[in-house]
Amino acid sequence: MNERILKVERLGKSFKDKRIISDISFEVHRGEIMGILGPNGAGKSTTIRNIMGIMYPDEGSIHFHGNSEIPRHKIGYLPEERGLYKNVNVMDILLYFAELKDYPQKKAKKRALEYLEKFGLAGKENTKVEELSKGMGQKVQLIAAIIHEPELLILDEPFSGLDPVSQEVFKEEIKELAANGTAILLSSHQMNMVEELCDRLFMIHRGKKVIYGEMEDVKREYANFKCTIIGDNPEELLRNIPSVHRVESKEDRAILYLEQDVHIPTWLRELPVELNVYELIIDRVSLHEIFIDIASDKNMIVKEGVKYA
Amino acid sequence: MRNSWKVAKWELKRNMKNKSFIISLLLTPLLFIVFASFPTLLEKLEGEPDSENVTVYVKDELNLFDDIDSLVKSQDLSWKMEEVTGDSKKILKEIESSENQAYVALTDNAVKTGEVKVFTSNEMPDTFSSEVQFLQEPLRQVKFDQLNLSPEVVQSITKGIEIKSEEASTQTDSGSLNPSDKQSADDSSMERIIPGAFAGIVLFSIVMTGMMIFQSASQEKKEKVAEIVLSSVTPGDLMQGKIIGYFILGLVQVGTWLLLVVPIAAWRYELPVMEYLFVPELLLLLAISIAGYLMFAAIFVGIGATVEDMTATSNFQGIVMMLPFLPLIFLGPILANPSGIIAQVATYFPLTSPSILILRLSLLDEWPWVEIIIALVILLASIWLLMKLAGKVFKTGILLYGKNATPSEIWKWLRY
Repeated sequence: MNERILKVERLGKSFKDKRIISDISFEVHRGEIMGILGPNGAGKSTTIRNIMGIMYPDEGSIHFHGNSEIPRHKIGYLPEERGLYKNVNVMDILLYFAELKDYPQKKAKKRALEYLEKFGLAGKENTKVEELSKGMGQKVQLIAAIIHEPELLILDEPFSGLDPVSQEVFKEEIKELAANGTAILLSSHQMNMVEELCDRLFMIHRGKKVIYGEMEDVKREYANFKCTIIGDNPEELLRNIPSVHRVESKEDRAILYLEQDVHIPTWLRELPVELNVYELIIDRVSLHEIFIDIASDKNMIVKEGVKYA
Repeated sequence: MRNSWKVAKWELKRNMKNKSFIISLLLTPLLFIVFASFPTLLEKLEGEPDSENVTVYVKDELNLFDDIDSLVKSQDLSWKMEEVTGDSKKILKEIESSENQAYVALTDNAVKTGEVKVFTSNEMPDTFSSEVQFLQEPLRQVKFDQLNLSPEVVQSITKGIEIKSEEASTQTDSGSLNPSDKQSADDSSMERIIPGAFAGIVLFSIVMTGMMIFQSASQEKKEKVAEIVLSSVTPGDLMQGKIIGYFILGLVQVGTWLLLVVPIAAWRYELPVMEYLFVPELLLLLAISIAGYLMFAAIFVGIGATVEDMTATSNFQGIVMMLPFLPLIFLGPILANPSGIIAQVATYFPLTSPSILILRLSLLDEWPWVEIIIALVILLASIWLLMKLAGKVFKTGILLYGKNATPSEIWKWLRY
């Protein structure tokens, strides 16, 4: 296991009578990308704001390298709600953020130019921020978050509002940073990105942990097989097929969620003969579907989660 | 504190690089000069061609023509004197049909009745009626001569009687009726007014810059930079940095203005501004104006953090923005009586106290030290309290995106 950079323990926070998050515990290690997932309002940003010291938790503790003092200049942060001062130069604002982090100005300038070049913004350093397109602005924000070579980088919805090309640029950069030893905490609700990028993930719903673990383990544990059958079948018939955990049917399309330890060839052989099959697809539940399930309170995963916890 | 300086430096740099700030910085004193000199300029344009052309016909039965002529020359009046004799009707007719002509009949009868008739054309320069008053002096002399009065008597009459009101307290200080004292009193009032006016300008300008704090805090919110900045510094640092930054900006502004305006004022009005400006009293006045700045800065930075959309500001925030102009209400009564009860109340009330104190200290010869000290204590306590409250509002408000805070929300934050 890699060196532990950030440790969050039993974090809890309420606003007035409303409980936003409770009992949140996870760790982020050097060189890994750790994903926090959850639907809107689940408490992702609140968790992150507590780590950044923008809010103070009511309970629980946060440790950085084992210290409860959070050294802000060693953390890079790209908030979800982000912007830049409008009527200033790109370079000026980058240097200001570097200065706030106590990073030497000369080095900051060099790094800023390198990154601008890397992100296809070469020659834009003296452009006013208000003249940049939205995508360019977001690239500048990412540079601002990493200009001081942080040990821990926290990205809150880094891909929101990006076009596919820029998304790719961001993804590559995040991978590269992790490969160079930066610990990265990334929150998102874009499952495909998370699936591709993250080494581990923490799924949160209504302020509580739902899933926490290695991406591979999570997939193995939760991403069960599902069978999509197109054809006109009574729901009663489908539900009585062995090893079927749940049935979702809509018109002539039915999705059978299978139990975890199902053996597919055996299961296929046991299908009732009267089944009307126009098309049959067997694949695994994607992270995306797990997410949708949680967000729409179908509780399938929650039950499973409890079982495996 | 180190982080505050970084923020302050940034705010300073950001504004100094901003073209519109630079333009307004240079334009304001220019406008000031233009507005100050425009009326006199206009007057000159209007007045000059008229006043040069006044022709005064004098019917001289008293042999005063030469005296008057020399008086006209010494007083630099633009009169053209002409002595006439004989029938006045012909002259009057001529005057009636032309412009800028006058007819003065200096007759024995005029001296006797004490009424000199001056006939003028319809079109005359506005200043003529006051200019013509100087004829009183030589005519009175003629009257005195006719009455055979001795020079002593004449002097005694012409001195007249002056009625002077004075407070009992000044009488006990020293006899202040001789002319040299009067001279120094004039001097000392200048000595007071110039530093007072200076401190007033400082206060005004810093309060105006303080309003830029409001914009800056609101912008921070609108442009959603606050969270990025707050990941590096505490809300307290950010707030302090803004207050310090705009304070320095205000000083830069005053400095620039003075650099442009003082030499011109000194040259045009021949005031030894510098000499009057650097007196010990200036220090206290400046301290008061800085205190005033800190108070309004705290209010503005706090309120600014609650406002995202300037156009949708509620009445509440609008009223707060008007607070610096509150002292204007008391201006009249205080000018009438700088030691009155209204003046005292306004001195103790923190929102009006900085400007009212400066105003009163410029007007009063004798500084009411007890009042000054009480007012300063109240002022400092209010600054401390307002800074605390502003900190609370700022901390929560700056991160509340997407809407303006309502007064009831702000009240909740204050108690939280």
